[in-house]
Amino acid sequence: MDPTTVMAVICSVIVFAGWLVLPHSAAAKPRVVSEERKPVRVSA
Amino acid sequence: MKIDSGDTAWVLASAALVMLMTPALGFFYGGLVRKKNVLSTIMHSFFILCLISVQWVLWGYSLAFGPDKFHLIGGLEWVGLNHVGFAPNPDYAPTIPHQAFMVFQMMFAVITPALISGAFAERQRFKAFVLFSLLWATFVYDPIAHWVWGAGGWLHNLGALDFAGGTVVHISSGVSALVAALVLGRRLGFGKEKSEPHDATMTVLGACLLWFGWFGFNAGSALTAGTLATSAFVVTNTATAMAALTWMTVSWYHKRQPSVLGAAAGAVAGLVAITPAAGFVNVMGAIVIGFGAGVVCYLAIQLRERIHVDDALDVWAVHGIGGTWGALATGLFATIAINSTAANGLFYGNPKQVLIQLVAIGASWGWSIIGTFAILKLVNLFVPLRVQEDEEVLGLDISQHGEPAYAL
Repeated sequence: MDPTTVMAVICSVIVFAGWLVLPHSAAAKPRVVSEERKPVRVSA
Repeated sequence: MKIDSGDTAWVLASAALVMLMTPALGFFYGGLVRKKNVLSTIMHSFFILCLISVQWVLWGYSLAFGPDKFHLIGGLEWVGLNHVGFAPNPDYAPTIPHQAFMVFQMMFAVITPALISGAFAERQRFKAFVLFSLLWATFVYDPIAHWVWGAGGWLHNLGALDFAGGTVVHISSGVSALVAALVLGRRLGFGKEKSEPHDATMTVLGACLLWFGWFGFNAGSALTAGTLATSAFVVTNTATAMAALTWMTVSWYHKRQPSVLGAAAGAVAGLVAITPAAGFVNVMGAIVIGFGAGVVCYLAIQLRERIHVDDALDVWAVHGIGGTWGALATGLFATIAINSTAANGLFYGNPKQVLIQLVAIGASWGWSIIGTFAILKLVNLFVPLRVQEDEEVLGLDISQHGEPAYAL
């Protein structure tokens, strides 16, 4: 294999193998996206 | 010289693809700004499409590609497209009408100043933007295009390789963006208030349209509808995908979540980096270039944040650094097995090509810094570059254009 192919294989392995050690889900808590759906209180 | 109908059809279709990239950029940037500035941000790209289309036929094309003067600039012989007719020009594209080559190059000239607009988003006065863009296209873009692509240009004669605009388009715009961000200063509340993208879906759609249009940008730069265009098409797609995967992985590791906007930005970084190399490298080289783009552009954004420069939409990190990496990588991975009219790079036995690429990179950085700084200072003498504070708070859509983006 020529040097370019060797480097391409190494880069691909780093990316693909890297996914094995990444967190399973987002660490941040989901934010409240909108408050528009809050029920509107209509007082008599 | 005989006109080839296949080549002509491909180059004209590619010009249309590259044209689409400028409004796509408007949407890519538009989604990243706050709701009060989206229309003004899209307007930057749309306006430049109109402005440079006229500038290019009047004098821009002549300065960039006209008869060489001192290896620095094209002459004025082709002003108003004088002598630019339907007969092919053997210096540039011997199988298509000269005007087809001219209009293809026009679209490159259009998108380059539009790229800079991401740096001064949400705070630049529209009138100052108009003057700056016209002067920048004339005194920064046109000379660099001549140096690299013009017949007789000094970097062209030196042997610099830039297939579709790593130095001409991306280094020039990215470095100029950094200068513009520094000269204009930070947005009000920068670093204190959160300035979150108002519509991430718009940005992802913009990135997808950019990716689509970029096939015209890179594969169209073959100027023929054959093997070289095919190779450029394949490596463009490969590097882009690899850069998006890499950026997403790095940001996933760093920020603990796989960012959608990060994947979109990574794809654009890959597109930028493969641009100068698209007609010179094989698909394995494209994978390395994409990987490098994902890493170095992500790191550049971290650096930009650390030094508190308000390059609002990270034009320098993605285009300036991505373009620099791509231009350097061309000197590493170029091979005459792909393009027999070019040169080998370092890994194919020609270390000298790296030095030539470094000269081209240095010249593009230098002229972009000097030219952009001088133009901004000149424009500021006549029109304040920034809007007033109350206009910035109100938002540029209303303060500059009198129109809200959304009537919701």
